[in-house]
Amino acid sequence: MSNEAKLWTAPAVIVVGFCIVMLLGIAQPSLHTTMFTIGLYALIALPLGLIYGQGGTISMAQGSFAALGAYTSAILCTRFGFSPTLSVIPAVVMPACVAFLIARPILRLPELSLALVTLSLGTVVAVGLQRGGDFTGSFVGLSGAPPLPLVGNHPVWVATTLWAVVLIVVIMYSHFVHSARGRSLNAIRVDRLLAESMGVNVPFDLSIMFAIAAGIAGLAGWFYVHTLGYIAPDSLGAHTSANILFMVVLGGRRAVLGPVLGATFFTFANDFLPGAETHGLFFGTILVLILLLSPDGILSPQAMRVLRRLFSRRDRVSRARLPGTAEVTEASR
Amino acid sequence: MTLSATGVSIRFGGLVALNNVAVSVSPGEILGLVGPNGAGKTTLFNCLTGVSKPQAGKVQLEGRDISRLSLADRVRLGIGRTFQTPRLDLGSSVADAVMLGFNPRLRQSIVSACLPFSKARRTEDDLSSRARQLIAEFQLTADPDSSAGELSLGHLRLLEVARALASEPRYLLLDEPAAGIDDVDRDLLADAIRNAAARGLGVLLVEHNVGFVAELSHRMVALVSGEVVAEGKPAYVVADPQVVAAYLGVHHVAA
Ligand SMILES: Nc1ncnc2c1ncn2[C@@H]1O[C@H](COP(=O)(O)OP(=O)(O)OP(=O)(O)O)[C@@H](O)[C@H]1O
Ligand SMILES: [Mg+2]
Repeated sequence: MSNEAKLWTAPAVIVVGFCIVMLLGIAQPSLHTTMFTIGLYALIALPLGLIYGQGGTISMAQGSFAALGAYTSAILCTRFGFSPTLSVIPAVVMPACVAFLIARPILRLPELSLALVTLSLGTVVAVGLQRGGDFTGSFVGLSGAPPLPLVGNHPVWVATTLWAVVLIVVIMYSHFVHSARGRSLNAIRVDRLLAESMGVNVPFDLSIMFAIAAGIAGLAGWFYVHTLGYIAPDSLGAHTSANILFMVVLGGRRAVLGPVLGATFFTFANDFLPGAETHGLFFGTILVLILLLSPDGILSPQAMRVLRRLFSRRDRVSRARLPGTAEVTEASR
Repeated sequence: MTLSATGVSIRFGGLVALNNVAVSVSPGEILGLVGPNGAGKTTLFNCLTGVSKPQAGKVQLEGRDISRLSLADRVRLGIGRTFQTPRLDLGSSVADAVMLGFNPRLRQSIVSACLPFSKARRTEDDLSSRARQLIAEFQLTADPDSSAGELSLGHLRLLEVARALASEPRYLLLDEPAAGIDDVDRDLLADAIRNAAARGLGVLLVEHNVGFVAELSHRMVALVSGEVVAEGKPAYVVADPQVVAAYLGVHHVAA
């Protein structure tokens, strides 16, 4: 694949996929809101793909950072008269700063401890929001957040704006992966000593990446609260974090589009599955199956190899059934 | 104008890995470092590069005390190294693995790395072609886009040398680069080391193949149980009774 193709394949897939679903939405308008949900999850999951898939640093705090962004914006708009246009900045900066401050001590931990610590961060945020009294709206949450600037509440425009942001993130992510910085981050995942011996300031680089991931999650939170108009302590948070990790791992943590694929799968499955009780069972089974077949998820070189083998076998069989081609197939073995 | 360690001592629990060791290598010089297994050669590399911090002594780079600098900082100052067991992402392409070596010299911002049509984009093509040149020079593979995991151990060692050279070091520390590589590759390696020294790099070479080091080195140091037992011209060090005894001892045990 040429260099340009490597950089632009993922963004092209996003544009084409978005257009197709939005056109189908003319016949089935609920697809527009589904598209919004997918975009929201994709925006929270993409930077987790970056820090986990590339950097090897797991985080179960993405949902909580999104909640932090949403609350920051909602509080500023409802209590201090900010407009959403202005409050988007603190909605991004606030979670990013929190993430940067806590990053240094925790990012040294091994994977499992890091998962638990980031998960408990979610609990801290949730408890803080519940006990925040009138300021955070305690258990009820906050309502009355003004709609998004320019696009208002129109589902098509809201989805389009959100996906434009997703597209920008995907473009930047694609470029980052094929850059010296991307190679540094991958070196950190493989072997921290290797990364350091290549001049990488590992703690600092990881902290920055962790902060960027939190900031983008905050941006998703901003979209959430100004589209739905309200936010409660359990709207986003620990369970969202867990679902986001599921999407990244299932879709393929190493691939740029893995988190987007995971978000798409998760959202559609959620819509079509009957009772909420079956969800956990279904997702758990899928996850185990996929990880057994391909530990790096659906979009991974290994899974591609499995698929190719499946298809080429079916190919061979079907060709063999056609009269006259059987010898060719036989000879080419 | 040297890279030097003076009075370096380090112990791991009760084990004294280095005891009051002094070595220095000048630009353009190839310094061979020999010694039996467990003599402390890798530990000395670790102290020079900042992987380990010695309990006593200091490391100086051209007169400047760098004892407190991190590994990453020292690489950026021009101390490049390879590892005894190659360290790299076996899942990446050979080209990407070598391109990682340019990082210590690059000051790329994250913003530039993320944006299309940025400075990072333009350097990317340049880095890629320079990496391909190094890959061809070391005859690592015919296809730079193939996976690094497909290379033999010998080629992985050469890849590390190529990667270290990509960072344009002033001092190059090679930890057993010729272990387990074939004759053709060993000649390539010897040429690369000579060329590097001819260009003014100071090379510190750890190697068990005493013949190979003695032939390449301008000067040699022998380390036994964490202490320097002989130092000087290769012919002199190789003939030193303590060195002979240490190596005979090793062979004795091995046999
Ligand atoms: N991180 C460490 N912790 C504990 N002991 C160590 C550590 N690193 C090295 N040692 C010990 O220090 C001694 C010197 O080890 P070192 O790796 O420097 O030897 P070497 O000369 O490189 O040997 P070889 O030829 O086998 O590579 C050995 O006894 C080793 O077990
Ligand atoms: Mg060693």
